[in-house]
Amino acid sequence: MPNTELTVAVIDLNPARAAIVEEGLRASGIREVVVIPDTAGLLARLQEVDPDVVVIDLDSPSRDLLEQLFHVSRLVERPVAMFVDRSDAATMEAAVDAGISAYVVDGLKPERVKSIIDVAVLRFNAFAKLQRELTEARSELAARKVVERAKGLLMKAKGVTEEEAYGLLRRKAMNEGRKLAEIAQALVTSFELLE
Amino acid sequence: MTELRIGYVPLTDAAVVIAAAERGFATRHGLSLVLEREPSWATLRDKLLLGIVDAAHLLAPLAVATAVGLSPGGPVPLVAPFCLGLNGNAVTVSAALWAALAAEGPIDGPAAVATSLGRALRRRGAGRPATFATVFPFSFHTYQLRAFLRLGGIDPDRDVRITVVPPPYMVDALRAGAVDGFCVGSPWNSVAVESGIGRIASLGCHLMPDLQEKLLAAPRGRLAPSVTDALVAALAEAAEWCADPANGADLASLLGEARHLGIDPAILRRTLDGRLLADRDGTVLADPAYLRFGGDLHRPDPGQAARILALMAEAGQRAPADVAHAEPARAVFDPAPWAARAGCAAP
Repeated sequence: MPNTELTVAVIDLNPARAAIVEEGLRASGIREVVVIPDTAGLLARLQEVDPDVVVIDLDSPSRDLLEQLFHVSRLVERPVAMFVDRSDAATMEAAVDAGISAYVVDGLKPERVKSIIDVAVLRFNAFAKLQRELTEARSELAARKVVERAKGLLMKAKGVTEEEAYGLLRRKAMNEGRKLAEIAQALVTSFELLE
Repeated sequence: MTELRIGYVPLTDAAVVIAAAERGFATRHGLSLVLEREPSWATLRDKLLLGIVDAAHLLAPLAVATAVGLSPGGPVPLVAPFCLGLNGNAVTVSAALWAALAAEGPIDGPAAVATSLGRALRRRGAGRPATFATVFPFSFHTYQLRAFLRLGGIDPDRDVRITVVPPPYMVDALRAGAVDGFCVGSPWNSVAVESGIGRIASLGCHLMPDLQEKLLAAPRGRLAPSVTDALVAALAEAAEWCADPANGADLASLLGEARHLGIDPAILRRTLDGRLLADRDGTVLADPAYLRFGGDLHRPDPGQAARILALMAEAGQRAPADVAHAEPARAVFDPAPWAARAGCAAP
């Protein structure tokens, strides 16, 4: 279990992901989790929060600013070392794969840091999976809609039943080795052009 | 064929690496270069230290900072067998700030511009201080920006706020009004001018000449000596190709591709030729030294190490008296593979 007395700051421009990470850290027993949603006044926020660990999106443009702040602020007095310290290759690689970078106060026990990173990695990955599923669900819904539309057009134009219209689309798709939705989309597009 | 992953930040001076990978120079030396574009310097450094990329297009001061332990994740002895290019930076200010400083006095040359800028900033008074951006704490951009401000009697630590924005985000930061000016590498100054939101105030080479701006760096021991030699040979040939004006159009369109810089080749061509449109009114700042490729400048110069350490000390990034930094900093610049290649190439 991570040490409950630690304060973790999550810097993330993506509020949905930040919420998921925050919830995960809290569930693992960390009471002080602060989400910093943007870079406006980042230095002041960091000084206020005084985090032991900062978790940030690896590709965030704010990372370079963060490193500058470590140099100019009093955070320098409590040296902040990046978690990427080569002592635990597996954890580091998992973090980079998930798109996470983290900074920790010097002297923090590695296993404490590791448990925090592990939670963040799980949550980042869960969020990425969620987004993928959402995108897939959206495209599936769109596909279903366009097939419905194509069926309707065929029924009207050829005077066939819904089942026959569906059969026509399916046969065409199979003959051409393409997806049903693609055939339906082509039909809808050409209909719109002719309209 | 040895596969090497090389990370770079989208900048014109990644040209030699990109040309080596895409115009056959690497394969000729038995290497297959896989390019990985990174959005920011901290990310590229981390991926280099973690071994996700084998070598990187790196700011020379960042390589030194990592080697001496000033940068997170260090100290890691980095070694650079090749310098990727000389100079290439410029200072740009917002169109509004340019109008204010031009109203104050002369604008011929960096010192005059900086002096007028100083007057304009003092006139603004004690409200919100002007904000200038550099690309990374450990960068020549930081030191050139500070030198430029000092030319105008502006104290970089007290009179202005200095923030950090990675190169590809610089123009957006200026457009959004988050910064009033910046020092960044080519082509981002020109992109700001082209968008009508910025005016180039000074070329970097007029503030500090002959800087080995970017290095091709890897952790010591990561690349086998034979691989390093092949890489240096391939990069040297690619550099000559980049330096030949006859290849300018091809190079500009290669760099301009969406998977590399994603910038209009016409803009890239001007920066490669050292003829920069400084202002949309047609003012051109021209200097062949603006960004240089080709010849001996690619030989890593260990003499740059002391210069970088002194600049870091001036910027308050390290204690000037810390002599322990001298040796690891010097060791970053390794001219031996270059010399060996030159020896082989001699008739």
